[in-house]
Amino acid sequence: MTAPGKDLVIGVVLVAIAATVPFLFPVRYVITQMTLLFIYAIVVTQWNLVLGVAGIFSLAQMALFACGAYATAMLGLYLDWSLWAAMPAGAMIAVVVGLLIGLACLRLKGPYVALLTLAIAQVAYLVIITDTDCFIRTETRCEPFTGGASGLRRFGDLGLREWLGRDWIIGNYFVGLGLLVAAMAFSVAVARGPLGLAFRALRDNLGYARSRGISQFKYQLVVFALSAFFTGLAGAFYAAHFKSVGPTIFSFSLLLLLLAMIVVGGLGTIWGPIVGATLVMFADEGLREVQDFRTLGLGLTLALFVLLLPDGLTGTASRLLARWRGSGS
Amino acid sequence: MDGLSHETARSPRPLLVVDGVSKHFGALAAVDNLSFEVMPGEVLGIGGPNGAGKTTLFDVITGLDRASSGRVLFAGHDITRAGPERICHAGIARTFQLNAGFDTLSVRENIEVAAIYGHVAPVFPGFRIRPVIRRRVDAALELSGLAGRAATPAGELAVLERKLLMVATAIVTQPRLLMLDEPVGGLTQAEMDAFVAMLARIRGEGMAIILIEHVMRFLVSLADRVLIMHHGERIYEGRPDDLANDRRVVDVYLGDGAADLIRAALDPGVVP
Ligand SMILES: Nc1ncnc2c1ncn2[C@@H]1O[C@H](COP(=O)(O)OP(=O)(O)OP(=O)(O)O)[C@@H](O)[C@H]1O
Ligand SMILES: [Mg+2]
Repeated sequence: MTAPGKDLVIGVVLVAIAATVPFLFPVRYVITQMTLLFIYAIVVTQWNLVLGVAGIFSLAQMALFACGAYATAMLGLYLDWSLWAAMPAGAMIAVVVGLLIGLACLRLKGPYVALLTLAIAQVAYLVIITDTDCFIRTETRCEPFTGGASGLRRFGDLGLREWLGRDWIIGNYFVGLGLLVAAMAFSVAVARGPLGLAFRALRDNLGYARSRGISQFKYQLVVFALSAFFTGLAGAFYAAHFKSVGPTIFSFSLLLLLLAMIVVGGLGTIWGPIVGATLVMFADEGLREVQDFRTLGLGLTLALFVLLLPDGLTGTASRLLARWRGSGS
Repeated sequence: MDGLSHETARSPRPLLVVDGVSKHFGALAAVDNLSFEVMPGEVLGIGGPNGAGKTTLFDVITGLDRASSGRVLFAGHDITRAGPERICHAGIARTFQLNAGFDTLSVRENIEVAAIYGHVAPVFPGFRIRPVIRRRVDAALELSGLAGRAATPAGELAVLERKLLMVATAIVTQPRLLMLDEPVGGLTQAEMDAFVAMLARIRGEGMAIILIEHVMRFLVSLADRVLIMHHGERIYEGRPDDLANDRRVVDVYLGDGAADLIRAALDPGVVP
């Protein structure tokens, strides 16, 4: 079977399984966690384009996610936009910010990209939590423009309660699943097509790639912008689904969680991020009882994979499969 | 495209003009006030001892390094300050002494990426590889003899195959000037012959070639004209058959034994 054919079959099977979950396990907690899994999976499929396919060590992804989330919340809160309009607008704002971050990283190499992008995210975090000036004053209290340390609330929702009543949460579940399918299809099309070739060529050998006409300037900006769109949209949906957004989305442990998803699944592979997101999310659920060990467990998992299985589970599996086939024939 | 290159092949204007180019690394002049020209369809061979500045000269011409002074003109356009992408699109493609490759890409993908991006810069490359690109890739696979290795990751290739792949990714950008940095260094005699056969076919298409090579027999048998560098300067420029009679070249580079071998290789009747 051809590679696109295989991708399609895997995709359809996964979607079919996901679509039955809310009916097989009609538990609010399960549905909420699965929706959160979809959101994280969107982020890691796009992050994988930058980190794995293009090989650029950007840690800006959660800042772009926050852009989408905060922009959506603010457009809803201050301009009374419908969140259905605010979400794509938030994604576009994330694209613009992604372009600017890509521009800032253009002349930097390896670890310096990680440092700069982490610093940008930290600055955004600090600006938000130290924001205490009154922007909206109500009778009881004053709210800062960014929501400050306590975040933004009451900016509306997707409005599915009016149609679906108590099942609105299942409606949101399917919106999340739909966004994930779109994000995944997008990342596969990019990674398997001419753009993916350019990103990988620049990653493998910069000077050689430039000598074959591939502009580092253009395609580094392109990968930042492309990956920012669905990342911002995931943030926007996060805000719309949970009806609140706060500075916790900048937390280091969340960044670590998402990074672990990519590394466990397989950096730069097509299906690795989804596999990793699912496994890490379930493992994280298992560790919920022992709160203190969650971050520790995450850090250890990450370290073990980097040291022992740098290709992740899917990367290692496909390598073993190829070797097995090779020796069989 | 074809019509154009035939036209330029007939015109007497030089394709490449290197005009007083120098490249300094601190106090070291790796290339020192060097001037020469290459005509359309011509093959220029460059030789010289290790550290003479040959690779540095290639880096400066192809935009990977910036000239400290001097100018480079290609097809009448000043490309001295242009980046490597633009120079590739202008029609110069080079190979690398260190056998560069996109190691995680398959042989076919290596050629595809060069075909998609190397001829003209696409505004947006799209999500599929166009049939015209595929045909060009197939032709390059055929020409380089790598068709059987199309699915192999470039990182797993042997030395000869890596060298052939670099040439394939170069010619698929449809250059007017091909620059080869030690294309046969480290190859066996049989492999070298295979390489010569491929270059003969490329030459037949009217491409100009500059090739750097230490293997003098290879250099003099392919080149129309030879340029020998030493300490960044030209110490010889002229016909390959006079090379072995030049006292300075024999002293600093060839040695008497090699000069005799070259004379033997250039036995009249073998080379025009
Ligand atoms: N980036 C650099 N920084 C400092 N010095 C350099 C640099 N690149 C090359 N050189 C020096 O410039 C000189 C010319 O080097 P170059 O690689 O061009 O020689 P070459 O003629 O290609 O030699 P070889 O036949 O060994 O390939 C050498 O002395 C080298 O050490
Ligand atoms: Mg050299």
